[in-house]
Amino acid sequence: MAGLTVTRSGGAANSSATLRIRGITTIGDSNPLVLIDGIPGSIDRVNPNDVESISVLKDAASASIYGSRAAAGVVLITTKRGKSNQLSIDYTFEYGIETPTAVPKQVDAATTMRMRNERIWNGVDNTGSEYPLYPKELIDNYANLHVENPDLYPDADWYKKLIRNSTPRKSHILSFSGGNQFVKTKASLDYSQIGGLYEGKDYNRFTFRVNNDITPNKYLSGFIDINGLMNDAKDPVVTLTPNMNYPASLFAPTWSDGRITQGDAASLNLLARLQQGGSIRRNGQSFGGRVGVNITPIDGLKITGIFSPTINISSEKNFSKKIPFTRLETPEIIAGYIGGHLNTNLLETRSHDYAFTTQFLVNYDKKFKGHSVGILGGYENYYSFNESLNASRLNYELSDYPYLNIGNQNFQYNAGEASEYAYRSWFGRVGYDYMGKYLLQINSRFDASSRFAKGYRLGIFPSVSAGWVISEEKFFSKIEFLSYTKLRASWGTLGNERIGSLYPYQSTLSFGNALLNVGQNSVSASTASVNKYPIQDITWETTESYNIGIDLASLSNRLRITADIYKKKTKDMLLALEIPRFIGLTKPSQNAGSMHTIGWELETGWNDRIGKFRYSVSFNLSDYKSVMGNLRGTEFIGSKIRTEGSQFDEWFGYKANGLFQTQAEVDAGPKINTNVRPGDIRFHDISGPNGVPDNKITPEYDRVWLGGSLPRYLYGGNIQFGYKSFDLSIAVQGVGQQKAQIEADWLSAYNNYAVDIVANRNYWSKYNSFNQNETANFPRLSPNFNSNNYSALSNYWLFNGAYFRLKNISLSYSLPEKYCKIVKARGCKFYFTSTDLFSLDKFPKNRDPEASSFFITNSYLLGLSINF
Amino acid sequence: MKNKLLILAIFLLPSCSELNLRPLSEGSSENWLNNQAEVEMSLNKLFDINYWYSSLLPISTSRTTNAGELQYWDRSTDDWNQRESTTEITSSTINGQTAFVNILWDLSYECIASANRLINGLKTNIDGVSSQKLLIYDANARFVRASQYAKLIFLWGDVPYYDTTISIEQAFGLKRESKDVILKKIYADYDYAIEYLPNMYANNEKTYATKGAALALKARIAVYMGDYPVAISAAKKCMELGIYQLEPTYGQLFLSSTRSSKEVVFSNPRLVSQDIKMPKTRVAEPLPRLVGGFGNGGPSLDLFYSYLCTDGLPVDKSPLFNPMEPFKNRDPRCTASIVEFGTPWLGYIYQPHPDSLNTLNTQTGVYVKNQDSRGYLQWAAFNGLVWKKGIDEDWLDLQTDPLNIVIRYADVLMIYAEAKIEQNDIDQSVLDALNMVRSRAYKVNYTESTAYPAITSRNQAELRKVLRIERRMEFAFEGLRYADLIRWRIAAAALDKKPIYAMLDVPDLRERIVNKGLWFIPQTPTIDENGIPDFSNLYRDGYIRYLAIRSFDSTRQYLWPLPTTEVNINNNIKQNPGY
Repeated sequence: MAGLTVTRSGGAANSSATLRIRGITTIGDSNPLVLIDGIPGSIDRVNPNDVESISVLKDAASASIYGSRAAAGVVLITTKRGKSNQLSIDYTFEYGIETPTAVPKQVDAATTMRMRNERIWNGVDNTGSEYPLYPKELIDNYANLHVENPDLYPDADWYKKLIRNSTPRKSHILSFSGGNQFVKTKASLDYSQIGGLYEGKDYNRFTFRVNNDITPNKYLSGFIDINGLMNDAKDPVVTLTPNMNYPASLFAPTWSDGRITQGDAASLNLLARLQQGGSIRRNGQSFGGRVGVNITPIDGLKITGIFSPTINISSEKNFSKKIPFTRLETPEIIAGYIGGHLNTNLLETRSHDYAFTTQFLVNYDKKFKGHSVGILGGYENYYSFNESLNASRLNYELSDYPYLNIGNQNFQYNAGEASEYAYRSWFGRVGYDYMGKYLLQINSRFDASSRFAKGYRLGIFPSVSAGWVISEEKFFSKIEFLSYTKLRASWGTLGNERIGSLYPYQSTLSFGNALLNVGQNSVSASTASVNKYPIQDITWETTESYNIGIDLASLSNRLRITADIYKKKTKDMLLALEIPRFIGLTKPSQNAGSMHTIGWELETGWNDRIGKFRYSVSFNLSDYKSVMGNLRGTEFIGSKIRTEGSQFDEWFGYKANGLFQTQAEVDAGPKINTNVRPGDIRFHDISGPNGVPDNKITPEYDRVWLGGSLPRYLYGGNIQFGYKSFDLSIAVQGVGQQKAQIEADWLSAYNNYAVDIVANRNYWSKYNSFNQNETANFPRLSPNFNSNNYSALSNYWLFNGAYFRLKNISLSYSLPEKYCKIVKARGCKFYFTSTDLFSLDKFPKNRDPEASSFFITNSYLLGLSINF
Repeated sequence: MKNKLLILAIFLLPSCSELNLRPLSEGSSENWLNNQAEVEMSLNKLFDINYWYSSLLPISTSRTTNAGELQYWDRSTDDWNQRESTTEITSSTINGQTAFVNILWDLSYECIASANRLINGLKTNIDGVSSQKLLIYDANARFVRASQYAKLIFLWGDVPYYDTTISIEQAFGLKRESKDVILKKIYADYDYAIEYLPNMYANNEKTYATKGAALALKARIAVYMGDYPVAISAAKKCMELGIYQLEPTYGQLFLSSTRSSKEVVFSNPRLVSQDIKMPKTRVAEPLPRLVGGFGNGGPSLDLFYSYLCTDGLPVDKSPLFNPMEPFKNRDPRCTASIVEFGTPWLGYIYQPHPDSLNTLNTQTGVYVKNQDSRGYLQWAAFNGLVWKKGIDEDWLDLQTDPLNIVIRYADVLMIYAEAKIEQNDIDQSVLDALNMVRSRAYKVNYTESTAYPAITSRNQAELRKVLRIERRMEFAFEGLRYADLIRWRIAAAALDKKPIYAMLDVPDLRERIVNKGLWFIPQTPTIDENGIPDFSNLYRDGYIRYLAIRSFDSTRQYLWPLPTTEVNINNNIKQNPGY
């Protein structure tokens, strides 16, 4: 869908997707409001098979009725309901495997040693031995030595030992549906089991949903919906991600007889941590429901009351065990413990939260002589409460009993906290339609939030939209190839209050503990301190948006085109501007300034059939750009900036000018410090304390805006073919332009861990020829990686992150009825689906363009679905 | 119809939530400091160990005591080395974005803001609290504020100063105040503290700062800033209190089992059971591999060779020094701080000799593979030296809780001596102060001047050299060396273009040293007037190698850079020169 960006942080079973509608419109929280049958909720809670329809409200006019939380758009999910006179039972079974799309490659031991030697030798200005850590004979003979004695001369492939090639997933989905004119029911159950990409990781989920409609008479109807989700996620105590330091191949995880080794003291023995380090088990139960009554006293008037509670209960048991390791020759003596696993500790966390949404709606629809009027008035109240507790004991004697009362009583701790939040809203809508030709709608919503102080609490958000179905006009009917044409225009405002703090206007004290002596004893004493700066007059952020659009259908509705252009202006933006740090308090969110966004979207589709051959093609493309307006300050987000005139989250860093090639260049050029040598990155001297270049590179005066960090020109496409009982569908997705960063973790070769992207590519080196160095992709290996020379962000590390991805390919076959009848089934379908089969991108080899916090998986899924 | 509307009314019942919500698990600051408990809670925060590490603060990259990598002052000096690693200070790459620069700045001002809030919010009258007690609370908060500003002006020079609670607008209007002006305000706060703080607290009271602590820290910042008369007077008053004494055994003072000592003037407790303990990395680094440590961070060769011999002379001058037996005839603090080769250490005989492939487990009497010899393990024992000071069996589970000593009496004596020497006001009291510290190491009374190499010279230049070497020996690994290098302006001499030396690789070591019977290092470095050894001859002759070269940019590094964001967002704040 155009304008809707779905990004994934990873392919893990329990990692959730991030949705963005028309990109970023606010600095605070840009997650759209997800309404499941009208009640705010999380998209993760809905089983995809229960979804009847999803619609996305992008412009302010259509979203404004949903009020303050709709500033970033609204996703409306309607779940399936029972139908009259239709009884059915459907069963679906899916089985599939998932494989990681990209796993970094381990660098072999000899190369690692060579690179480490070079790195240290570079650190002493290439004086002294070229083999400061590992002697030449060792490196040259390593392959043979490794074969002779792999314990003394390890060459381990940690990635291979840690990351599985594939993992299974399966699910069973069962649904019932039935009803008559008085009662209708639809129920579904879904059980899914998803394996992990590494040992100790496993995810099980069970969801159910029951939707009931009762219609006793034509004046009264009601509904009771209940849904639930139970999950059980098991993880090892360490999470493996593509962007982390893996141990070097010089250290083996186990001796050849299987005993645990110390591994690499710095990056720890990850395999031992996975296998013996304990586990984190998270269990969640959440239940939601919706009870409502509709009263229709007179024709066209409907009064509705809805009460919807949701309850979440979650528990976590984090049991981290001690891992002893032994030396090669002394299997009977514990030589020490793996770092982070010196003791056996248990941390238990329990949290529960609940929320109530109450809605009261009055709807009146009237039609007369081609005029159609709809009026809606409503009230909504929301309250949520959250409380959590945790308790821990440390230094367990035994490592097999993950329960608190077995732990050491001298090391027991606990904590707890709670918060609450509420809002109230009143809203109204008047819609008018003449002959389906002229459409007009006026909305307004009033929101009051507990986040703001009395007097700053109320926000008013009106909107207007109009449509003109021009193809209904007589003068237009001559243009035959256009079967439908609609022009749309809208204006609307929306509010936002979603900032981290629930009490931003109140000056609060944080409580804690400090150790003090009383006589000879050290005791823990309670402490109190203010660490947040309150902004008493903080209030709503508002986004005003203009949208014009056109919907076209042509060639007997086979071709559809929808296009939109929009402009958004966000005012009183809630933003945590930098404040002088010496004030000693954390920076608060404040109503800081404005932002302007301009964007457009285009969606086209074609569908047709030729005899028994059906096909459809659709494509969408969208773009937007957000520029910061007059802000009363600046906010730094890591190496990105938000300041007047910059793009939202624009890269902020040094401007690179290649690598220094010779000492003469280093001597002449402006440097970031005295430790710069040939092979380091050369930066442009932009300015200095007096406003002119000072022949010094400093973070204060030489960093500039380096372009937006957000993806541009998002596109997606879908092709479907059908022939008789076969259906094939192919979905693609991509980003046309993006400035991506070479992540610091990818460069850990500079930090002692040899990593493939540097090892396999050429870096500036004393061993290279001058010409090779002139075209080197990476700077020299240097022990000063952690300091500010080339680890600081510069455009040297930015690259074209555009990508094209084959998102989904799916083939299905429906068994002819005569075969289905054998098992008394009405329908029977087999299907095969594969996701994320390949991508085209300029990312370094073995790096996925979307993976950051977890590996993205490529899945192959076989399914069978039977309807009775 | 009525019945139906009643049904609807049921839905409206729970539908009017209160919007004036208050935080549930946090307090409100608007009505605080009304009773003793509230005042003490605010004061307790100021004694949080995070604000007080070592002499100034550790250079911590993490805000919590237990988490993550901890860089401490000594890593940024010539006393410490860990293979080839250098810090942002010793690679001279420090700038306004360096993590510890920002963290130390933030923590100091966070503490100052809390102290200001308490000082200005203290009411003159709280039920059940005597006015004298209120003065003690006030004096404690001023003691903390002075100590935090002292740290700021020493590291950054001129910094923003405020002593009230300020708004964001007021903060944007503040400029950097001259360090001399701030120093006067620091003195005023310390003087207030000296007047009202008790000499000690009762056994059932919480121990905050004492009069002696205020005098000692006032003396410290005075000598750091070169204000010798103030340093002399404050140190002298502290000495005249008659409360403090040197711990009889030097090594005992630093062990986790020493929960209090008359030598400790101001400290923060740690307690493993309260999860306030030494960070694991810092515990594991100095422990030998044989006992499960990393065995990779420890004393530098530079430090080792700067310990005097038992005749009071440096190794290059003393006839008692034998390079083949470098631990013999050295100041007792040498072997109290660095493990002597071939002696028992934490249950094993510690011996980094490359041919010592097996070593004795002293508990079982069994020989085991020597993990701490490069002859056996390629990446063991880079320079062979391992820390001893403060370490004992309590460290073996990698959890230990020694006191965080902020200042101890030996430092007060040394500050007194240093200030008097710099004033060229050298009398017997100077020699007594120096000799008290030195004689304690030999476990004799300072008056027994033949039982230890007593200091007798009254020549300013000579005494300056004596004092500098004495401080290095006495305070090794206590976080004081960095401040010494900076205020004596010898950081460049000690660090700039100075290699981190290590033993030769095993084949070279065998060929050039071991097989010729020349172990450990067959030559003696020369020691300059600041007590800094020069190894260039040893390197030239091929007896040692180096792993990294330290650097120090003396055009800018005697002051730290301000955090970059302070300069970028505020036209009133200018960066320190050179950054």
